[in-house]
Order: sequence, then C-alpha cells, then structure tokens
Amino acid sequence: MSLIQLAFSNFKRSLREYAALIISLSFSIFIFFNFQNIVYSDSMDVLNSMKKEYIDVVVNAASVVFGVFLFFFIWYATNVFLKQRKKEIGIYTFMGLDNIRIGKMYALEAFFIGLFSLVIGLATGAGFSKLFQMLLLKLSEISVDIRFSFTLKPVLVTAAVFFIIYGLMILKGYVSITRSSVLSMLSGAKQEEMKPEKTWLTLIKVITGILILAAGYICAVRTGEIDTLTYAFAAVVLVIAGTYLLFGGAIPFFIRKLTGRKDFLYQKQRTLWINNLSYRIQRNYRTYAMVTILMICSVSVLGTSIAMKQRYDKMTHFRDTFTIQVVAQEEMDKDEIEKGIEQENKVEYSAEVSYLMLDPSYFHTEYTNSNYGIIPYSQVKNAAGQAHLKFGYSELKQDEVIELSHVILMSFVGYNGPKEVQIGDDKFRILAEDDTPYLGEMQGAMSIYVVNDEVYKKLEPLGIVAHMYNYKLEDPANLDASRPYLKSLAEQGEDGLWNVGVNFNSPEGKDEAWIRVMYSLCIFMFVTLILAGGSIIFIKLNNDACEDRERYGVLMKLGIDRETLGKSIRQEIRFTYYCPFLLMTVTSWFAIKALGNVMKEDLFKVNIYSAVSILAVFTGIYLVSVRVFRRKVLD
Amino acid sequence: MKKIVEIRNLVKSFGKKEYETRVLKGINLDIQEGDFIAIMGPSGAGKSTLLNMLSTLDKPTRGQIFLDGEDVTKADNKRLSVIRRDKIGFIFQEYNLLDNMSLEDNIALPLSLNGVKSKEVRERVKNMAKLFGLEEHLAKHPYQLSGGQKQRGASARALITEPEIIFADEPTGALDSKSSRDLLMSLKAANDSGRATILMVTHDAYTASYAKQVYMLADGQIQCRVYNKGSRKEFYEEILDLLASMGGDRE
Repeated sequence: MSLIQLAFSNFKRSLREYAALIISLSFSIFIFFNFQNIVYSDSMDVLNSMKKEYIDVVVNAASVVFGVFLFFFIWYATNVFLKQRKKEIGIYTFMGLDNIRIGKMYALEAFFIGLFSLVIGLATGAGFSKLFQMLLLKLSEISVDIRFSFTLKPVLVTAAVFFIIYGLMILKGYVSITRSSVLSMLSGAKQEEMKPEKTWLTLIKVITGILILAAGYICAVRTGEIDTLTYAFAAVVLVIAGTYLLFGGAIPFFIRKLTGRKDFLYQKQRTLWINNLSYRIQRNYRTYAMVTILMICSVSVLGTSIAMKQRYDKMTHFRDTFTIQVVAQEEMDKDEIEKGIEQENKVEYSAEVSYLMLDPSYFHTEYTNSNYGIIPYSQVKNAAGQAHLKFGYSELKQDEVIELSHVILMSFVGYNGPKEVQIGDDKFRILAEDDTPYLGEMQGAMSIYVVNDEVYKKLEPLGIVAHMYNYKLEDPANLDASRPYLKSLAEQGEDGLWNVGVNFNSPEGKDEAWIRVMYSLCIFMFVTLILAGGSIIFIKLNNDACEDRERYGVLMKLGIDRETLGKSIRQEIRFTYYCPFLLMTVTSWFAIKALGNVMKEDLFKVNIYSAVSILAVFTGIYLVSVRVFRRKVLD
Repeated sequence: MKKIVEIRNLVKSFGKKEYETRVLKGINLDIQEGDFIAIMGPSGAGKSTLLNMLSTLDKPTRGQIFLDGEDVTKADNKRLSVIRRDKIGFIFQEYNLLDNMSLEDNIALPLSLNGVKSKEVRERVKNMAKLFGLEEHLAKHPYQLSGGQKQRGASARALITEPEIIFADEPTGALDSKSSRDLLMSLKAANDSGRATILMVTHDAYTASYAKQVYMLADGQIQCRVYNKGSRKEFYEEILDLLASMGGDRE
C-alpha cells in the first residue's frame, strides 16, 4: 500500500470522527466564498447607481475580517486535528516508518480533508449564493431581481486563500511531526500535565489582568470625550490583553481556589467538574479568550450596524422633515408660495421662521464655520409647532443659547470643557445641542444658535435678516412637478447674491442605500461570528471528550452512575459556554457604550439584542455539545 | 460469620456456538466476611474473567452470583451502578486515579459524589490516609506520586466507602517489591482490623502470601485451596510448592 493509499484510507475511515473539523472548515469556506461572490458577481452591479464602490469597500473590509478569522479558525482547527492524529500516527513508528514519512502521511491526510471541505464549502456556497444575495438585498430593502450567476473568480480567490492558509498549517503540522520524538507523539495530547505555577507569577497575572481589563473599561467609557480615537484604540488593546490575562490568570486562580475549599467541593458533582475545569483551563484559556474576543467583535459589529441604521433613519428623518425650503432676504407670503406648490402637490405642513445671519467675525467659537446665524426662541418654538416637532425648552435666559446642529453618521470629535459661545461682546452658555430639524437642512449649512428674544432684538442691527419658508409635501416623490414653479421664485440680485433661494430635498438619496447594504452585511457578520465562536468551543469540547473517555470509564467502573456523570458533564460544558458569554456581556456593555459615544446614539438595546441572540445560539450549541460529549464518553 | 459472596455454577464462554470457548467451567465459591482471598493461576486460567463477573463489570453465561444475598447477574445497569457504588471497592493494576484532581479529592470521590457531608468526608479521608501512610501526599496530584503511593491511594479510595468487599486485580502488578510490601501490609492491616473483606487476583506468590486463603484457578476451574495456618513465610513456601506441583516452575 502506498503512502497516498494509506493516507486516503485513513481519511475515509476518519471522516466521521473529524466531521466537526470538516464541517467547520466547510462552513468558513462557505461564508468566505459568499462574501467574495458579492464582490465579483454582476448581480450587485445593479447597485451601481447606489455607490457600488462603497459596498465593495465594505464587502472587502468584511472579507479581510473573515480572512483573518479564517486564518485563526483554520489554525485552531488543524491544531486540534494534529493533536488527535499524533497519537495514532505515532504508532506507525513501530512499524518502521520514519518521521518524515509519517509527516508526509499526515500532510496528505490533512490535504484530503482540506480538499473535501473546500469542495463541500464551495458547492454549498455556490448553491446558496443566490439565496444569500437575495437575503442581503431583502434585508437592505432594495428590490432587485437577482439572476443565478456563477463566476469562476470568487471560487478561485476562495480556493487560493483557503489553500494558502491551510497549506501553511499543514506545513506547520508536518514540521512539528518530523521534529517530535516517538515518545511525545505517542503520549500525544497527554503531554501537558498540570504544571504548578509560581505563586508570585500567578498573583501578577491575576492583578494585572483585572487592572488592565478595568483600564480598558474606563477607556471605553471615556471615548466620545476628547481624544476619542486614542481612547477607543486603547480600550480595544487593553480589553483584548485584559481578557487574555483574565482567562490565563484570575479565572484559573479562582477555580483553583475552589478546588481547595473542600467544604464546597465535596457537594453534588462539584469535585468532578470543578477539578476537571481547573485541570483543563490552563490549556484551554486561549480558546476561551479567543471566543470571548470574537464575541465582543461580533457585538461591536452589530452595534456599529445598528447605530448606523439608527443614524441613517435619523438622517432620513432630518432630511425629509421639509421637502422644500425657500429662503428670502425680503419677507414673502408663505401662503402664496403654498398655493403655488399646491397646484401640483399637496402640502402636509409648513413652517415659517426668520433668523439673523451674522458675519463670522462676531463669533468666537471653538471651531470656525463660514456661516453663522441666530434665531429667536419664539420663532423656533412657533416653527416647531407648525412642523409638529417636539420643542421642550422653556424660555431662554439672557445668557443662554441652544445650538442647532444636524445629524451626521459618526464623529470622532468629542466635546470638552465648558460649552460657551461668544457672540459680539457677550458670552453665552450653550444650554444644549439639538439636532432636531427645526430649520431643516439649513442646520447643516450653518452654525445657528437659538437666543433669547430680547437678545435677538439687540443683535438684529448687526446682521441681515433672512426669512425661511419650509414645506413638507405629502408625496415627496412628486417633488419634480413643483420644481418649475419654485424655480421661478428663485431670484438673483444685481450683486450676484441670491435674494430668493430654493432648496429641494429629494426623498431617497440613492447614494445612501449603501448604508442599508452595510447594515445587512454587519448582521450577517454578527451571525457568522457567533456561530464561529460557538463552534470553536464545540470543537474544543469534542477534543476534550476524546481525552476524557478513559477517565469516565474509570468512574463508571467505580460505580458512579451515568446520571451523576451526566450532570457533571453538563455543569462543565455549561461553564465553557457561559463563562465566555458572561465576560462578553460585561465587556460588550462597555464596547457598545464607547460605540454609542462615538456614534452619538443610545445603543442599549444592542446590548440586549446581542446578549439574547448569543445566549440563544450558545444554548443551542451547548445542548448539542452535551449530547455529543455524553455519547462520546459514556457509551 | 456473614456470607458476603456466593457463587454458584458460574460459567462463562466466549464466541459463537461452534467456536465457543469456555473460560469458566462451573465455579462454586463462598466468601465470608473478613476473608482475604487470593486467586492465582496461569495466564488464560480465567482469573480476570472471574473477577470481572464478580465485580459486575461483565455478565456470566450461566450461573449465579449472590452479593449480600442479591443475585447480581439479574440486576439491571442502574442497579449494578448502585451495587458497585455501595458494596464493592476496586483496586486496579493501573491504579486508575483521576489525573485531574488531587490525591485527597481522589480518595474522597466516592463519598463526595454520594452526598456524604463534607465534614465527614474529610474526616474519613484523613483516617484512610493514615492507614495507608499518605498523610503528606494528600495535596499532590497523581503525576507527582510514585506508583506505590498511587496504588495505596487507589486502595484508600476503594476502602473509604466501607464496601462489603474489595476486588483487587493484580494490585502489585506494576509495583516494585518495597512498594508492594507497603501496599500489602496496609491491605492486611485493613483486613485484620475487620475493615475489609478482600478478593485479590494475582499471579505473584509473594503477593498471594499476604492473603488468608489462596485458590488455584486453572483450566476454568478451582483446582485447590490452601490456607495460611501460621506465618506468612511458611505460607509463601507452601504456595510456591503448590505452584511447582501444578506444573509451574518454582521461582
């Protein structure tokens, strides 16, 4: 029998045993392929008008994230595989095979598995690609008829990326086998005994872990203030390091402490599963840390997408509050304009305000804008009432102002220090910054402050009064019908300045649809990442189960009944899923908070959604895990 | 004296009808409380098969085994677990301590899983550790212990539930002579103090000489029995002679 035949028969025999590896490899290929497919397939070309380049950027970014994920995932899965195989392969040394040939056999076997997974992943990927794109567009509320298209390029890219990563891992395994001794191969997984750690080292780990994580949390809370980017970056680094150290230090330390407390330990099945955890965690903590970080990433991705969606909805609302805005130097008749519009369109509501445009030199603010204006309190209140907008401020004092701002997608510029503005010779306290579109899009074009009516009167001689007439159409899509009339209103003065200007806000700014596509993509990423996290723990547990078979055999011989053992298994597995989950929930609260600060959004519900969905997924995998584990060790 | 185990016409055969091999050919044996029995015999005599039947890990083809009056050949798996847990103690050749917990937890395991109050568990672990000379090693993990210490630990674990009977399968098989002696002395002490009824399978005459009776098993049947009437040394000689007369070489 040649080496290839032997390896192939090994592969066939172990197909069932390594099902977890194959499934997870195929799954990651499936996902990666689908993302690649979006980039290359022509079905998304219909989005050209909607800035496909933006979507491509997003998809490419997602592909990079998945590429990195693929790398770690494959690394992890093959490592587990190598450990499992080493022992069996080691036996071949007794048959006179040298390490190099054994290494070759391993490489061949791994290659078969990889090839098999690739074929499955690509086949299912291609099969589901249309569904995936349909789902994506459906979620993005874009109605496009998608044809089933198959292009070779994404297949090639996926295969190439997979084989580069997987090939590296095979090479790593090959080198590891050729370099290891027969003994270490035979003892395989049992190699790493519980090595007692120096107490001082443990203590340092415990303390630094907790401190670093706490520092990370503090940084996360402080993002949104000044130096947002620095804080955000520090938070990410610190949280990753802290999580790693926590799983490597504090949590094992705590569990070890529990094993020392016999009054606690000798109750129920604790002696079995807590001891087992304590034994395992030194080897498994990297996995737990990795999964936790992966989960935090997934929640952050979800948070980003939801925040963007919220922002986007707000922007839409902001923009759509008024369909038509007429600004004039001289007072006009609001009702007359409305009549003109109503020849073609029904007006849902309208509002009228006057404000004062001031030269920038009168203003002393932190950031300099080119257009400044002030508006009396009563005018805004009145306009808000006309446009059915909430205006919850009581009469402003002489030295108070409200800054009217506009909705932006995100901001890394934080606010800091006392909020003040100087207009002319007087200083005013900025009571609030409000992005309700009282003046519609005008708020985006200029810095405008709401002031006390008397103050306004006092300042009036310094600037030019402008009059604004805002109209909301019942059917904004029919805006074009009113354009000719409105254009006839626009009037340029002799000095080239516009005496009357008209601003149109077309409803769906098509260029913003990419935000929705991105939103859907983020949700996909979230789902993929939590499934990945769950399956990593699943693979780990499967591997543990193989090692545990002997141990449970002894326990059964000793007369420990299956029920007790089953309970112990359940407790242990519960910990492995829910401990990362718990830490993730705590950390993601801070992560989402930071995100909310940056995005200026309240994202608390993201915490709830993500925690609940991760809990649901993990619980599902946990239940399957318990069944599989029990079957492996107790039957 | 109380009869703990009663074996009636125990037959075990392996393989399908035409190719059937009978390993045990009708064994009858009674074990009384306080007995310390060693079963000897050449390889293939059926020692391990007999022990597996007695310890309920395997079922006989025919015949009955009464443990404490109950026919264990008719018990279901659940009941067998309970019997193993409450009435039987095991000592294996390869120790079978769990490598993921300390020696103390290993010894305590059967009690702590049975809902015994932790204070009592600790008390009894202490006593057992004293009996087997393991007080200083309780906090260690199995990989930090020598073979002899591990086997004494396993014995302590077997005895801690105060089982009706201890089954030991080649308990000294993997030990050097000094460790063997320490272990056997401890087992003998436990037996002498009335704390343990022991059935031990061994091929080693020296190990067997610590027992009170030695049964020779050959060809699926008990061929003869010898009783220790005087000193251990004399008994040892007697066993060696018996082995020689049965065809084995005197070592």
